[in-house]
Amino acid sequence: MGAIGETSTQLAIRDPDTRLMIGVRDDEPGAFEELVARYQGRLVGVMHHLVGNAEEAEDLAQEVFLRVYRARKKYRARAKFSTWLFTIANNLALNALRARQRKPAVRFDTRDSGPLGARPAEQLLAASSGSQPIRRIQQNELSDVIRRALDALNERQRLAVVLNKFEDMNYAEIAEVMGLTVKGVKSPLCRARMNLRDALKDYVFMDGRPIPKAADE
Amino acid sequence: MSKQANLNNDEWADLTAYLDGELDSNSARSLEARLNRDPAVRAEALALQKTWEMLDYLPQPGPSTTFTSRTLERISVLRPAAVRPRESGLRYPWSFGIGWAAAVLLAGSVGFTGVALLAPRPGGHSHLAQTDPAVLERQLVQDLRVIENKRLYEQVESIEFLKELADEDFFGDDG
Repeated sequence: MGAIGETSTQLAIRDPDTRLMIGVRDDEPGAFEELVARYQGRLVGVMHHLVGNAEEAEDLAQEVFLRVYRARKKYRARAKFSTWLFTIANNLALNALRARQRKPAVRFDTRDSGPLGARPAEQLLAASSGSQPIRRIQQNELSDVIRRALDALNERQRLAVVLNKFEDMNYAEIAEVMGLTVKGVKSPLCRARMNLRDALKDYVFMDGRPIPKAADE
Repeated sequence: MSKQANLNNDEWADLTAYLDGELDSNSARSLEARLNRDPAVRAEALALQKTWEMLDYLPQPGPSTTFTSRTLERISVLRPAAVRPRESGLRYPWSFGIGWAAAVLLAGSVGFTGVALLAPRPGGHSHLAQTDPAVLERQLVQDLRVIENKRLYEQVESIEFLKELADEDFFGDDG
């Protein structure tokens, strides 16, 4: 191994999760359990944002952990562990989304009872049982609108958004996960943000702050 | 897609990169100057920023309560069986003692060979560490604290001095 390889390995080993994964690779007792405990929340969350369905998100997250375990002996500490993990997650999610496109099926989200969201009776039921019913309905509606805006992005844009926003990854890390250059990440992220802005423009300034006037308006 | 501000594709990409803190300092300064003098670009930047913040309204779904156990259960099938419980007693009770003696002998010789090959020697790494990345990584994990403090250690003339610093009595008792 050359000097550059050693440096990247030394850098990677500063990451506690990379060291944990080396423990998994070497079959240290309890290492894999700790890895699952550390990452299950993040992984299920990211998968849910990508596929939009809680049950499928858990199945995919579980499959990611299985693949990590099966591939553990081949693991080499060359980058942050999370980057490697989310690269596997990315590939699985993309496969799942493409399989879904080939076999379109009507999907019912647990939060949505119909194609237009929760039915009025269900909204009333939720309202009658909550301490701040109106506010809760507004928040549910808002999150459904945002969910639909996110779902409307293409796969690359959605993944870039989810990794950047919810995993707090920088462009270099996103590039590694998505197999792109750093410059190649700027484009889908920019298009995604512009598409989201257009989809959500009617909701953006609902906190009472005035919409800023553009000079050419 | 409505473009109120007069920006080309590269400038839009730079604007979002700026909001993400990913623009280099020269380009960021140049963009900040434009934001200061162009209200249309400023309005776009604000709209993009506010849209981004709206994503915080999305629920953060977590795993169900059974997720961990279901996952570990699936993994347990893949795990090599370390000890298989026997259904009945030993068929040849004397074989138990001989087995143990053989195992101890084998473990001793494997351990001796392993230590001879893998243990870090003063003044150099073992041959395996130079060729097997997995062994190198294991050694790096073992030596991480030393590697991380290497610069500090280089400033110290002797290990005795460090030991004296660690001595509670060195600075007196301030309790």
